[in-house]
Amino acid sequence: MTTCQMNTPPEMDMKEETRHFNTQLAIIGSGIAGFAASIFAVNRKIATAQIGNTGALAYTTGYLDLLGKQDDEQAAIADPWRALEELRKNQPNHPLSRIPTADIHNGFDEFTAFFGEYGLAYSRPGANNITALTPVGTLKQTLCVPATMAAGPRAFAAQKPCIIVDFIGLKGFSGRQVVANLHDRWPDLGTERIAFPDMDHGEIYPEVMARALEVPATREKLAAALKGAAGQAKVIGLPAILGMHRPDHVRAELERLTSLEIFEIPTMPPSVPGIRLRELFEQVLPHKGVTLIPQQKVTALTFAAEGATLSLSDSYGPIRIHTQAVILATGRFLSGGLEAHPDEIREQLLGLPVTQPADRTLWYRDRYTDRRGHAIHRAGIAIDHAFRPLARDRRPYNERLFTAGIILAHQDWIRSRSGAGIAIATAYRAVAEVERFLIAQA
Amino acid sequence: MAETPIATINFKEEAHRLLPEGASFEACLTCGLCSSGCPASGIENMDPRKFIRMAELGMDEELSTTPWVWCCTQCKRCHHVCPMNIDISQLVFLARSNWPEDKKPQGIVRSCQMICATDSTSAMGLPPADFVFVVEDVLQEVQATQPAFRHLQAPIDKQGAHFFVNQNSREPMSEPDEMVPLWKIFHLVGADWTYSSIGWAAENFCMFSGNEAAWYEVIKKRVDAVNNLGCQVWLNTECGHSYYTMWQGMKRFGLEANFRLESLITYYARWIREGKLPVNAKWNSKGIKFTVQDPCMIVRKAYGEAIAEDMRFVVTSLVGEENFIDMQPNRSANYCCGGGGGFLQAGMTEHRRTYGKRKFDQIAATGAAYVLTPCHNCHSQMEDIGHFYGGNYGVVHFWTLICLSLGILGENERTYLGPDLLALID
Repeated sequence: MTTCQMNTPPEMDMKEETRHFNTQLAIIGSGIAGFAASIFAVNRKIATAQIGNTGALAYTTGYLDLLGKQDDEQAAIADPWRALEELRKNQPNHPLSRIPTADIHNGFDEFTAFFGEYGLAYSRPGANNITALTPVGTLKQTLCVPATMAAGPRAFAAQKPCIIVDFIGLKGFSGRQVVANLHDRWPDLGTERIAFPDMDHGEIYPEVMARALEVPATREKLAAALKGAAGQAKVIGLPAILGMHRPDHVRAELERLTSLEIFEIPTMPPSVPGIRLRELFEQVLPHKGVTLIPQQKVTALTFAAEGATLSLSDSYGPIRIHTQAVILATGRFLSGGLEAHPDEIREQLLGLPVTQPADRTLWYRDRYTDRRGHAIHRAGIAIDHAFRPLARDRRPYNERLFTAGIILAHQDWIRSRSGAGIAIATAYRAVAEVERFLIAQA
Repeated sequence: MAETPIATINFKEEAHRLLPEGASFEACLTCGLCSSGCPASGIENMDPRKFIRMAELGMDEELSTTPWVWCCTQCKRCHHVCPMNIDISQLVFLARSNWPEDKKPQGIVRSCQMICATDSTSAMGLPPADFVFVVEDVLQEVQATQPAFRHLQAPIDKQGAHFFVNQNSREPMSEPDEMVPLWKIFHLVGADWTYSSIGWAAENFCMFSGNEAAWYEVIKKRVDAVNNLGCQVWLNTECGHSYYTMWQGMKRFGLEANFRLESLITYYARWIREGKLPVNAKWNSKGIKFTVQDPCMIVRKAYGEAIAEDMRFVVTSLVGEENFIDMQPNRSANYCCGGGGGFLQAGMTEHRRTYGKRKFDQIAATGAAYVLTPCHNCHSQMEDIGHFYGGNYGVVHFWTLICLSLGILGENERTYLGPDLLALID
C-alpha cells in the first residue's frame, strides 16, 4: 500500500505565458473552405494563420462537387458551368452567383493542383460533371474525383465486368448493397467478401486498413487475396482504404501486384478520404509557412483601428493572434459556426446577424423529405460584394472581416450538391478581396 | 480475505461535472472517428465510441468494471480527432481511480508504491544515497578512462544551479553508462546544472494508477526539491510522462513553483541553433534512415506542434534531411505506441502488443532502420513490438546520436547501436 497521503492543496494557479503571433490574415475554420483559403493565401504570399476545431472535414467523400442539382429540377446536372448561368438568373443571392465562372474554375484548378503535388492526385475540373459512385451504390454528379477513385466512373461508363470487394468485420460498406443498387445499370457487377490481412477478429476500420496498406508486406498479402476474388473480372472496386499518406502509390503498387485495375468507393464516416485531406493539410501548410493551430476554437475576436485580435488556448496555454484581416469560415451547425437556439439561429463567434426565417415554426416544412427543401438550410450570413459579413445596418460588420464557405446564406449545399464548390469558390474570392484590402492598406 | 468490490460510478453525472462547457457526451454524433483512430479499439471488446454510448445509456456497472480502462493509455488521440471536442480520458482516469488497489493491475500499483517509498521518487525504488553513489562511481570511471572528459562533472544538490535535471531510474539502476552522453552534452554547452538527491527521478506512475493522493505527494516532493535548490529551470530528461505528470500535477494541485518547466528537446534544438552543439550528418555516410516517435505526453498533450518541429530540427541536423522519414500520421496526430499510461508496467502483455501493432505498421511503412524518441516508455515499447512482430529496426535516444555525431560516444555508451552504426564509428 502506498505511503502517500493527500493534503489539501493550496489554491494557486501556475502562471501561464501568453504566446503572441502576428500575421496578415487569420482564417478561422478547418473545413474545406478554411484550408482552401490557406492554400490560396500562401500561393499569394500572404502571411497566414489558421485556427479551427476539427470540423466536418473528416466526413467528406473526397469528391469535389461544384453543382450537381438545381433546386427545382429532378434531373442531375451534367454541365455545371451552364447550370451556374441558370443559377445566376434564378438565385442571384446564391454565393456561387456572386463569383465569375473563371474564378470558380481557377479556384478548383489551384485547389486540385495543390493535392497533386503531395501524392493525392485529383482529376482537374472538366467541361462536364463525372457520374460517381456513392458508398451505398447510388450515383451522383461531381466535378473532380481523387485519382484513386477515377477508374470507378470509367468502368461504369464502359460497363466493364467488375467485382466489388468488401471485408469481414468492416461496417459501413457492403459490396452486396452496392451491387443491389447498381445491378440494373451495371449488369456485369458482382461482389466478394474477403478477410483483410492480419485483421481477423472484431470490427475493423477503413482508417486502420488504409494505414496498414502503407506497409509493403500488407499490400502483398492483400494483392494475393484480391487476385483470388477477381475471378474473370479485370476491374476491382474497393472501399476507400488505399493508403492514407501515399494513396496514389498504394493503388499503383496494388495494381502492379495484381495486374488488375483497382478503384476506391467512398465509405460512410469514419472514412479515409477526409482523414487524408486533413492530415495532408496539417502537414503541408506549416511547411508552406502557415501558422496552423488545429483542433482549437477561437473564443474571442476583437477589432481595433490597427487590426484584429483572436483569442484562444491550446493544451499549452493562451494564444493571441494579431492580424490585419480575418476570414470567417466556421461552417454551419455541425462545426459550430451557427447555433440553433429556441428563438433564433445565431452566429456563435461575433453574434453576426443571421439571415433566417422570421419564426422557428418556419424552419422546417411538415415533411422532412419534401423536395422543396427547408428554410433553415438557407439561413446564414449575408455579405456585401466584397464577401464581408453585414451588420444589422446592412453595412460591413468590419472592413477587416471576410467570410467563406457554407456559413453563407441563400444556399442549400446538400440539396444542390455544391458543398465543395461553395467552399472553394468563396474561399478563392474572399482571399482575392483580402489581398486587395492588404494592398490598399500598405 | 473478501475481495473489495468495484463501486459503480454514475458516468453521465460525472461527465457533467468534469467536462468543460460545450463538450458534453450528448454532443457525440457517434461518427466513430475516435474509435477508428484509437489503437485500443477492440481490446476487451471496447472502444471510445462504445464507452461514450454506454455512458449515455447508463451502463455504469459495465463501465466501472471494464479492464479496458487499463488498456486505454489516456493518450487523448480520441479527443484530438473528435469534431465535437469530447475528452473521454478524464473519465478513464476517474474509472481507474475508482478501482480498489487490490484489483488494479499490480505492476502499476507497485510502481507507484516504490515511487512513494523513498525520497528519490524512483519507480524502481533506488534510494537517494544509492543514486548519488552510482552517479559518482560512473563519473569517476569516465574521468579516468576518457581523457577528453577528465573534467566532466555531474553535480548533485548544487545550490542555485540554473538547471535542475531529472533522471529516469532505468539508467542508474540498469544501464548507468547511458547517463554519460547527456553529461557530456551539458559539459560541451557549458550548462550550469545539477541533479538532486531528493526528487531526482523522472517517472511517475501514480497518476496512471489513478492514485491522486500519491500523485500529489510525488509532485510536491519534486517541486519542493527544485524550490529548495533555487534552480530556475526544471529540465525534463528524455521521458514523456515525467513532464506531463509534473506539469498537470502542478496545475491540478495549485503548487507554487519558483521555476519553469522545460524540455530537453527544446534545449537540444536551441544549442544546435546557437552552435554550442556543432552536430552534423557527415558521419551518416551510408545514408542510414531514421524516423522519429512523437511522445503523446510532450507533443499532443502538452507543447503541441512547436516541440514536434524542434524534434525534427534536431533529428535532421543529426542524420541529414534526406535520411529522415516521418511516420504517418505524426506530430499531434501521432499514435500512442502503447507503452504509455502504465501499460508497460500493467502486465497485460498481449493487449499491449495488440495496441502496439499500429505503431509497428507506422514504423515499418517508413522503412527506417532506427527510431529516435525522447521517451523511455516509447523506447521500451517500440523495441518490444519490433521484436514481437519481426521488425528490423533499432530504437535510440537523442543523447546517443548527438554524441555519435560529435564523435564523443564512449565505448560503453553504444548499447542501442546496431552493427551498421557501430561500423561507422569504428
